[in-house]
Amino acid sequence: MSDVPKTVAAQAAAIAVPLSGRSRAEEDRNLVRQAQNGNDSAFEELVRRHQQRVFALVGGILRKREDVEDVAQQVFLKAFVSLKRFDQRSAFSTWLYKISVNECWDYLRKKKVRPLVYESDLSEEQVSRLDGVISQDRPLPAPSERAEAKELVERMLERLPDQDRQLLLLKEVEGFSVEELAEILDLNVNTVKVRLFRARGRIMEHYRKRIGLDGLAGHSPGGGGKVRQI
Amino acid sequence: MNAAMDSGACPGYEAKLEDYVGRRLSNGEAQRVAEHVRSCDACATALDDAVASVRLLRLVEPVGSPGPRFARIVMARIRSEREASRDPRGSWQPFISLAWRLAATASLALALMLTYDVVRHARTLQTAGTTEIRDLVTSEADRVPVNGDEVLLMVAETNRGKR
Repeated sequence: MSDVPKTVAAQAAAIAVPLSGRSRAEEDRNLVRQAQNGNDSAFEELVRRHQQRVFALVGGILRKREDVEDVAQQVFLKAFVSLKRFDQRSAFSTWLYKISVNECWDYLRKKKVRPLVYESDLSEEQVSRLDGVISQDRPLPAPSERAEAKELVERMLERLPDQDRQLLLLKEVEGFSVEELAEILDLNVNTVKVRLFRARGRIMEHYRKRIGLDGLAGHSPGGGGKVRQI
Repeated sequence: MNAAMDSGACPGYEAKLEDYVGRRLSNGEAQRVAEHVRSCDACATALDDAVASVRLLRLVEPVGSPGPRFARIVMARIRSEREASRDPRGSWQPFISLAWRLAATASLALALMLTYDVVRHARTLQTAGTTEIRDLVTSEADRVPVNGDEVLLMVAETNRGKR
């Protein structure tokens, strides 16, 4: 008998998360309805609720803080203008994230500027620092060395195709799930997984090229097979 | 193993390996993937790369959060855009209003000219018609003899004209 309350509690816990998600979505729907009827405060509340995620999404695509701020504002302006036409068939967040992605792509298309990439290979010291970062066996480098390694990784990311870079950043840095990415980018979940996996391979390929190990098959940075144990 | 495609891993395993990296597989599925990786060098290498990429990308920091005034800035921009869209004429307003007045005046003048022209034309037609009728009536009246002498005179004139 003592199991019964536990089971009930477990069931309650199991539905707690979806319910909270659902209630948040329901609150969004109410706010959208109010905003559609001309209530500016309701829209301001929607901005507050979603600004963090929109910022992360735009940040994952554009990276430059000043661009991100500007485009994120533009996203909400666009959302406000189009709100009357939003029929709430999808979640407000999904609709907003799609606007965000489109705004980013428009922005990139208009700008058409790729940052200059540092072409030279890494020094022995830099290689050792990067190896230290990706090896599970070695402790993380000191903050100053980490900053340098970080810059090197950013440079490697810049050399990736846009789609690879954006997927990796949105997933690994900005914390979007595979399912969210699939919804935002209008892709199949499996396609997102495959693209992500291939993008991982590509950044490591760049890493190998940088440290002059191009063509060395099976090079496992940071200690070979042990890295596999995740 | 038939390693192919971009990642070097077996095509059917790429999505599963991504799930494996992200720890999204059940124990049973993870076991099956691990078994495959043990027997497939291509997938093993690709998995090594994927795991290393996770550690590499941990170095990259998120762009950050919007500032505390972000929502207020957005609302201020919305209000200013709304004001602008409510009064799209803006600084052109005086010119637009002048243009409207000129257009109205021109239309009125045109209407007056047309009316005047139509009335004048109608009067001309009326005058011309009256004169013709009067002439006709007058000449006809002239021809009608009022007494016997006139009848004789008309006959004499007619005969003289024939001659």
